[in-house]
Amino acid sequence: MQQNIYCSCSRCPFGALVCAVWVGMVCLVFCSRLSGMKAASICGNAQAECHFLSLANLFDRVIQHSARMHGISNDLHSEFELYFLPSKNQVSRVGRNCHTSNILTPNGKENRFPVTDPELTEVIMKLLAAWRDPLWHFHQSVARNHRFNGYGSNKSLEMSDMAHELRKGVQKVVEKMQTLGVISNSVGGLASPEALLAADGSGWRFMKDSDLLYCFRRDSNKIQNYLKILKCRIVPEHGC
Amino acid sequence: MKKAEGVIILWWLLFFTLHAEGTSYSLPGKPTLTNCRSPEKETFTCWWEPGSDGGLPTTYHLYYRKESSDAVHECPDYRTAGKNSCFFNKNDTSIWINYNITVVATNARGSTFSDPVEIDVVYIVKPNPPEKVTVNVSWNKSWPSLRVSWDPPQKADTRSGWITLIYELRIKLEGEDKWEEHPAGQQKMYNIYSLQSGGTYLVQVRCRPDHGFWSEWSDSTYFKVPDYFPQERSIWIIIMIFSVFIFLILIWAIHMNSHTLKHHILPPVPGPKIKGFDKQLLKSGKSRDAFSSLVGSDFPPTTTNYEDLLVEYLEVYIPEEQGLMLEEGKDLHDGSLKSKSYTSDSDSGRGSCDSHALLVDKSEEEKEVGQKSNQQGGRTEMDLKRPEESPEENILNYSHANVGSPDVSCEKVKTWPSLFSPLTENSSGPLDQPDSPEMAKQHCLSDSLFPPSPLSSPFAPPGHKEVLGSNYQEYSFGNMHPHVLHPQTGSHQYLQAHGNMNVANIGHKGVPADLQLPPVRSTEYVEVQKVNNENMVLLYRVSSDAEKGCPGRRHTEEYSRLKGVNNDNGLLLLQRMVSEEEMNICPYEDQESSGLTDSGYTTSTAQKSTAYIPPATQVLDERVAGGYVDTSMFTLPIY
Repeated sequence: MQQNIYCSCSRCPFGALVCAVWVGMVCLVFCSRLSGMKAASICGNAQAECHFLSLANLFDRVIQHSARMHGISNDLHSEFELYFLPSKNQVSRVGRNCHTSNILTPNGKENRFPVTDPELTEVIMKLLAAWRDPLWHFHQSVARNHRFNGYGSNKSLEMSDMAHELRKGVQKVVEKMQTLGVISNSVGGLASPEALLAADGSGWRFMKDSDLLYCFRRDSNKIQNYLKILKCRIVPEHGC
Repeated sequence: MKKAEGVIILWWLLFFTLHAEGTSYSLPGKPTLTNCRSPEKETFTCWWEPGSDGGLPTTYHLYYRKESSDAVHECPDYRTAGKNSCFFNKNDTSIWINYNITVVATNARGSTFSDPVEIDVVYIVKPNPPEKVTVNVSWNKSWPSLRVSWDPPQKADTRSGWITLIYELRIKLEGEDKWEEHPAGQQKMYNIYSLQSGGTYLVQVRCRPDHGFWSEWSDSTYFKVPDYFPQERSIWIIIMIFSVFIFLILIWAIHMNSHTLKHHILPPVPGPKIKGFDKQLLKSGKSRDAFSSLVGSDFPPTTTNYEDLLVEYLEVYIPEEQGLMLEEGKDLHDGSLKSKSYTSDSDSGRGSCDSHALLVDKSEEEKEVGQKSNQQGGRTEMDLKRPEESPEENILNYSHANVGSPDVSCEKVKTWPSLFSPLTENSSGPLDQPDSPEMAKQHCLSDSLFPPSPLSSPFAPPGHKEVLGSNYQEYSFGNMHPHVLHPQTGSHQYLQAHGNMNVANIGHKGVPADLQLPPVRSTEYVEVQKVNNENMVLLYRVSSDAEKGCPGRRHTEEYSRLKGVNNDNGLLLLQRMVSEEEMNICPYEDQESSGLTDSGYTTSTAQKSTAYIPPATQVLDERVAGGYVDTSMFTLPIY
């Protein structure tokens, strides 16, 4: 008599378990698909609400992105401080001059800060544009330097990429604002590559790596802060 | 007088100089800047620690210089923040700009500079603790839940996004030492669950900017949890009882099935199962004794169990014309019963048809007799009657089952070659000496048609070796078939048992067809008288009257069924009467059948009679079950 190999779920507890697991997995796949589809249909109904909501969402995303970028630069700075400042008794960094100093940035809350939204946006864009090339150069320098381990090289590359991504993200935010009529269309023009290059110059090439890192750490903090201010001005109802 | 005044002046000078050297006025000690903090990223304060004052009143000044500017500025406010501090208000504070701050201590002797400190206001932010920490109790289905809410420190401007604060709260029971901390992110409220009913708790909140220092903990806020029914405890009690219950059931189930579980988990190790093997002996080390039982009295196997050896059928045909060819006095030791043993397997059906001949071969019989153990499967008839065999070898007695019946019946039982002839010739009196050929009565069951040609070899020449004890050789009936049945013609070929042949021999070689088929009724019945101790079945002829009386006698009736083997190794044959009509017709038969003389036979009924034949052990096939013995097939020491 041959034994029936295939036992039904009712008779084999192991088979029942396998059946249950399989069913569960199938359900999981379907549910995730369904939920994904649901998420896509949020903004289908009310356009106005959806736009504002999505602008806040965009802002949140760029702010988080800039926060992360600043965090990386902070880590790199603290780690490289040992290399850049061998003696702690070094008095001052006289003559440190970030190449972005010529970009007029609000340095205080009240004084010199009733900067309009377009101006603020423009400042952000300028800053981001000014750091595109220096960051790549910095990464190359770090990668070549054998004193730095792989961590430094990876982080510098990540930092460079994030700056690039953040710039694109901010551009999207600007476009969104322009479509919503929050800011005028003239802002985008100011972010054109020619204007930025003119403002930038090539002074960064003469800076030391330590100064570059120091300057970028500061500028990334500025970008993050400006974005937050911009968000709380434009879409204040969410988390301000 | 002048000298005295001069001495006094000298003394005064000495005194003063000595006094002046004793106080040791010196430069002030070096002050140190301890820290600088900004509560809201709009103002900041720096504190310093003064060094030794050098015995003279010392003043401290703080000077700073901004990045990218060489102008030195002095601290605008020394008082607001307390002693040894400098407060920078909003106008003097610039974010994202490095300040180079130095404190100078000055006294009459000189001034001492502290080490400079570079700060960026963004990184020295330490906010004030959150304010207005409140706790609200809300009920959720009789479960209280607590919501702690707070406000950001007043000075921190979070609304404009200038500063982003992250909060954290901690809670503990009153009287305990350990706090339970919960990070709250950027939200300004927090829900707490699972608190002791009636307990008093303390809660504190603090905050920090995303890149800065933690604030101090806020003042403790006391709150008391309202009493509520601890349902959770009752649920736990129910769960405990339930689990105990299930546990008891489980224990009981395991106890009930402990045996089977033991078998499943620890299957018993099979021990040796050799018959007659004593484990204990082996364990005790006496291997000889242990193995001695294996050596056998059983081996070589003596056929102590005659039930295993059964003569399934013997069919002997003794043609009347031929006369008894049994030779008396012949040493019939080899007139062993060539019994075909029917096996219960598929052979049996075939056997009857196929086995045309009993072994008539003398030599075979000789061999057979001698063999004790090789009769197994030795259908002696078969042996003789292998189709492949030369006809010479096939002697035997065929009996065809139905003489007068069509071939069809032959397919079955009937076509047993029967042993002819010699029996009839030998139908002399009973033989009592074992050595002498004894006639055994045997009912010749059938008028069998003898296939002429194959049967024509009546017997194997002496010395012819037959496969004795070999495996069952089945002669296909088909070989015999054409020859066999001539029911109408009755062309039997009678196997004649030669005198020296044990078995009644039958087929004369080349016996022409002139052998007349005796009428059915002319079939001689041979009665099996007994089987001598040399394993011969002795047949004697029964008077032919019976035959005549039973024309319609079927061949099938001739077959006697083996009833059993008695303990004397006697073969109990059961003769069947197929139909009662026959009975009536052949009452004689009955008598005859009942007339079986041999000891031990029992006539159970009129319809049944058993022929008792002490079987030749060798001859009898062990496989008997279901077989029947054809009494006509007994090989007789017929001469």
